[in-house]
Amino acid sequence: MEEFDYLSSGEEEEDCESLDGIESDDQRWTSTSLSSTQVITEESLLAAQVEDLHRVMDLLTVREQHARTLLIYHRWDIDRLIAAFVEKGREWLFSEAGVTMVESRNSASSWSSSPIMCEICIEEVPPNSVTTMDCGHCFCNDCWTEHFIVKINDGQSKRVRCMAHKCNAICDEDIVRKLVSEKNPSIADRFKRFLLESYIEDNKKVKWCPSVPHCGNAIRVDGDAYCEVECTCGKQFCFSCSLEAHSPCSCPMWDLWVKKCQDESESVNWMTANTKPCPKCNKPVEKNGGCNLVSCICGQPFCWLCGGATGRDHTWSSIAGHSCGRYNAADKAKRAETDLYRYMHYYNRFKGHMDSLTLETKLKASIQEKVSIVESKNFGNKDYSWVINGLYRLFRSRRVLSYSYPFAFYMFGEDLFGDDMTEKIREMKKNLFEDQQQQLESHVEKLSSLLEEKFDEFTEEKIRDLRMHVINFSVSVDGLCLKMYECIENDLLGPLQHAIHNIAPYNSKGIEKASELPIFQDTSANLKSTKITGANNALPRASTTNEKRATDSSQPSSSGLLRESSSMDENICSTRKRSRKDGRGDTLIDLNLPTWVVDKNGF
Amino acid sequence: MDLSRVQKELKDCNKDREISGIGIEANGGDLTHLSGTITGPVGTPYEGGTFLIDVRLTGGYPFEPPKMQFRTKVWHPNISSQNGAICLDILKDQWSPALTLKTALLSIQALLSAPEPDDPQDAVVAHQYLRDHATFVATARYWTEAFAKRVTVGIEEKVQKLVEMGFPENSVRKALEIVNGDENMALEKLCSG
Ligand SMILES: [Zn+2]
Ligand SMILES: [Zn+2]
Ligand SMILES: [Zn+2]
Ligand SMILES: [Zn+2]
Ligand SMILES: [Zn+2]
Ligand SMILES: [Zn+2]
Ligand SMILES: [Zn+2]
Repeated sequence: MEEFDYLSSGEEEEDCESLDGIESDDQRWTSTSLSSTQVITEESLLAAQVEDLHRVMDLLTVREQHARTLLIYHRWDIDRLIAAFVEKGREWLFSEAGVTMVESRNSASSWSSSPIMCEICIEEVPPNSVTTMDCGHCFCNDCWTEHFIVKINDGQSKRVRCMAHKCNAICDEDIVRKLVSEKNPSIADRFKRFLLESYIEDNKKVKWCPSVPHCGNAIRVDGDAYCEVECTCGKQFCFSCSLEAHSPCSCPMWDLWVKKCQDESESVNWMTANTKPCPKCNKPVEKNGGCNLVSCICGQPFCWLCGGATGRDHTWSSIAGHSCGRYNAADKAKRAETDLYRYMHYYNRFKGHMDSLTLETKLKASIQEKVSIVESKNFGNKDYSWVINGLYRLFRSRRVLSYSYPFAFYMFGEDLFGDDMTEKIREMKKNLFEDQQQQLESHVEKLSSLLEEKFDEFTEEKIRDLRMHVINFSVSVDGLCLKMYECIENDLLGPLQHAIHNIAPYNSKGIEKASELPIFQDTSANLKSTKITGANNALPRASTTNEKRATDSSQPSSSGLLRESSSMDENICSTRKRSRKDGRGDTLIDLNLPTWVVDKNGF
Repeated sequence: MDLSRVQKELKDCNKDREISGIGIEANGGDLTHLSGTITGPVGTPYEGGTFLIDVRLTGGYPFEPPKMQFRTKVWHPNISSQNGAICLDILKDQWSPALTLKTALLSIQALLSAPEPDDPQDAVVAHQYLRDHATFVATARYWTEAFAKRVTVGIEEKVQKLVEMGFPENSVRKALEIVNGDENMALEKLCSG
């Protein structure tokens, strides 16, 4: 085995590069800064928007507000906008979105010095206090202002139409801002804010971080919307449904599962499956095994299946003098009972792994303590990154394992895919999956027990042994997780008729941390270093997740650990395995920086 | 609210009242609560009727649309036979400050001529309009007769009653005419000035 080879060489340099033996390929290691997800903060929202605006401005040679009007109309989907442009032409594109451009813009008000009649307030006003919109309609500034304020208060900032009847033109945002701020600066600010936030709210590539209380950030994903991201506030979520990260469960499955777990109806079903009112005194009577003749404590015997009072004489399959015909039939109660047991089976395992994860998260402090004890012993090999890396591997695979149960509950149940497979195929696929699941389960448990070893009391020899085992199990657990995702995507969900079930791809390095979008102040620096600084800045932030990095103050400042923690950071800020972008450079710059920033820096 | 514009609108609208068949009056000095009248268009089941429309202006007028509602009962697919609510786009999102009360009332008058049963306010009426047009016309005509031509019906009794309350006969007659014979509204008008 490869890991074994470098292990026996005992060289430190190799250790810090290959970490836990999982991230051994350099390619992936360096690609960490090539994140396809970005955090859009209040500060970078403008930059994010400017970039798209400039693309449209360049493409169609229009002014910024027209680009914005077009983009808002097309929900910030540049591809859709371009398609409409190519298909239906410039004129159609503009008029549909409410962009009108009159060549001689100032003519209406400039040729005359005599008062102009405003048709809204029906007053004569001096020509310098009227404004002509791009559509050519001219009214007095007071009326325009009033109109804008009403529209902004009405929540229509994104599409403030001209005042003229049947005029579809969208008002020039500069004019709106200018006139409104003269009368009411706070409403003008709101208008500005609305326009800015349109970039988030009307944009399918961008979503608000679902943290509560809200961190103020939004996340932009340039690739597949089926992915899981971590905001700089530490919140991890499924980008597609904004709920917690739940792969390898699909969004609809997870939604159903959450509801099912909240739903008390399961226990209600249990009650109806397990008790029936006595036909005489109405007390609930429980059936505990045996035949279908039950007796109430009042002494009344009755038929469990129809609930009717009967005599006592009975056999396994009939009650004397009673013939409801259901005595032996497969019945509903039975089914509700089986359904409940089935649910309990999956729920208990789902919950069990979640609980283990919580416990293991607490392991971290004690493990770090052990590491510092061993470090003080001055053994030959001072690098203990394998411990921490193994622990993170444990967290990630525990998660996968846990969510694989709700997946299996729906995948092999009747609720969703009852008609998609034959019973035989279902059984076959279920066995295949459960095989993998069990294998993963046993490896995860093994890794967990290895990490609980009191290695601080070990000899150097024994530590070397443990290290090898931790690394080996980490590698195999990673491989098993990947295999499970592939099995789900290719063998289970893939062949289904209805393609609504998609899962986020497996990410060996854990949930992708969104990188911070560079903001204006940063642009004087070298682009690459900006990105790296961004990642490091994110490091000390508090995180509520399980995959928190080793940043406690108790952390010893030995060189070995320092190197580890920075490696860990890279380790977690990872791109997906199925990278949607390869190579670095041009695409990155294009996607993350407004064009004028790029120009300014000579890229 | 732009009071001077409303005053100008009232003056302007009532100038050609005879020709347009559209009138608007303030209820006393209150410029936020007006009474509009439209005459039923010739050649429709509403011909010969005078329809009273309640007009309320918000503080945002003319940047917000006026609220209009029939006071006279009318049988029409786009007007509620229950409460007189009107389904008309320019009174909602298609309102433009460049429109006026008069243009709004003219649009309502046009609506009487050309119902839009596909966008109904009153489903029952709309259904009848589409399925049983003859009955629809008969009902609409009957409602016009019964509710929109009350001006002279029993008008003398009302005049008498109001005069007895101490209002001068001239004002009483004028008030009753404006409100289309509605005794209570006439009283309200007389009291408010
Ligand atoms: Zn004006
Ligand atoms: Zn216009
Ligand atoms: Zn956040
Ligand atoms: Zn989801
Ligand atoms: Zn009993
Ligand atoms: Zn028995
Ligand atoms: Zn029975």
